[in-house]
Amino acid sequence: MKTEQRQAIEELVYRSCLALDAKDYKAFLELCDPEFRYTISTYSPEIRREMVWLDHDRKGMEALFTNLPRHNSDHSPLSRHATVYTVEEKAAGAEVVSALQVFKTQLDGGATELFAVGRFHDTVKLDGASVKLKKRLVRLETRLLGYGYHIPF
Amino acid sequence: MAKSAAEWSAPPKFPQTHYVDSRVYTDEVIFEEEKERLFKPSWIIACHESEMAAPYDYRLFNHPAGVPLIVIRGDDNKVRAFYNICPHRGNTILYDPAGNAKRLTCIFHQWSFDSRGNCVDISRAEQGYQERFCKEDAAMREVKCEVAYGGFVWVNLTDDCAPLRQFIGGAMDILEPYMQQPMEVFHYHKARVRTNFKLWHDTNSEFYHDFLHYFNRITGMMQPGYFDRKYTGFPHGHATVGSMQIQYDKYDGSKERAVGWPGLARGGWYMVDVFPGMTYNLRTSVLRIDTAIPLGPNEVIIEFRGLGLKADTEEERRQRIFDHNMIWGPFGRNLHEDLLGVHGQGRAMRSGTDSRWVLQGREEGSTIHDEIGMRHYYAEWSKLMGRPAYDPYQEGKPDPVRVVA
Repeated sequence: MKTEQRQAIEELVYRSCLALDAKDYKAFLELCDPEFRYTISTYSPEIRREMVWLDHDRKGMEALFTNLPRHNSDHSPLSRHATVYTVEEKAAGAEVVSALQVFKTQLDGGATELFAVGRFHDTVKLDGASVKLKKRLVRLETRLLGYGYHIPF
Repeated sequence: MAKSAAEWSAPPKFPQTHYVDSRVYTDEVIFEEEKERLFKPSWIIACHESEMAAPYDYRLFNHPAGVPLIVIRGDDNKVRAFYNICPHRGNTILYDPAGNAKRLTCIFHQWSFDSRGNCVDISRAEQGYQERFCKEDAAMREVKCEVAYGGFVWVNLTDDCAPLRQFIGGAMDILEPYMQQPMEVFHYHKARVRTNFKLWHDTNSEFYHDFLHYFNRITGMMQPGYFDRKYTGFPHGHATVGSMQIQYDKYDGSKERAVGWPGLARGGWYMVDVFPGMTYNLRTSVLRIDTAIPLGPNEVIIEFRGLGLKADTEEERRQRIFDHNMIWGPFGRNLHEDLLGVHGQGRAMRSGTDSRWVLQGREEGSTIHDEIGMRHYYAEWSKLMGRPAYDPYQEGKPDPVRVVA
């Protein structure tokens, strides 16, 4: 893989974090392929099962983003910090694994706390200079999320 | 006109059964009494049988009264519950929240127990205890345990407690027809919230707060039949909520729930609130179970379980999980809103804020926006606690200057 392509993939991951941090759903979806699929999963040692906590295709993500402003939500902003660990070129595109840390900052006083840790497992569609997110699996380690959150990581 | 301090402290213009002194949510003394008087004598859901399907499968449970428990399926397939406390030096016996263990061995001095609670090995017993103490003296403490009402494992810490069926009475009649097939837990998570456990149960006991939920307003409140749903109170503080047909397709991106539930009418939704802090919530295609485990007067862990049918096909299960996550789960539209609601109550009622009263005065013929579900709960609470919830220190009148801890 060319250095430029690797840089483009890394920037795609980081831009996806910036877009969701800014609640700029349009910008996030512009980074995604029409066949995009988004999933949050984790393993429960309590029930010894894999669990899916969110799973949407692109249309489902669009509906989610349309509906969220209609709901009552925690307004504390999140900061998504990703570090791209590995990029492997495969037939379907690039398989990208990134570390994820999500911080939450209280509006009153500005205290910041670690909210969640996990990993992004992304499939990136490569088309010349263009890179698009085709699949994002957010694999969470953190399962205790207080009163939760409406916006995906 | 806004209220003065005296007006704010004056009892509400309702019968005493229709409001609660907010100190029942904040005082340490009351909280300690609740553990003794409410949680210890009550039957509490520890887990589901599907979490321990094979012999020697176990599950840990922190009982709301404060006792750590091991629930284990024995070599004879019977489910039993024991203190997770070694009778030797009081150490924790099992650490992982679930697993499979033929022997329950305390890592501290290697005392070992079987799945029936018998001590099977004391390290260097003869050398240290001679004839004075033996394995028979070192059994685990067993607590009452029954599997019932959809395959849930219920525990009771009191030796002479009434049977589970007597505790529940007729409260589960509304749901039992829909719990005849084996079920399976597919979702589990905890939420730790700085609020009182009763405020979570209150939220599950009243639907007036549907104004909080865009999803419920669109799919329920604005649809026919919503205001006909009825609360029914049962002995021991339990209550049920009747069904309606939820119009899931009214919410953008949602559609009518195709999977459904055996025997349940299309779009149906029943709830059973079990005293003192559990809720069965069968909403069309998923059964959700809440178990409140208080950590203090203003802190609670709520365990959430989502269940489908054991016989589900892969596609049916996938659809149930999707339905569950749409409104429940840590990213669900409704659960986040409900938890925000009780977090806000905990924030406003914490000790020293001069929160004074919680009103439960709505009367609408026991229908969905009536607050009779909460009133029914606090009648039982007052009886068991020996304190009226409207005046927990029986001062007879509001204290002019509230003494706060």
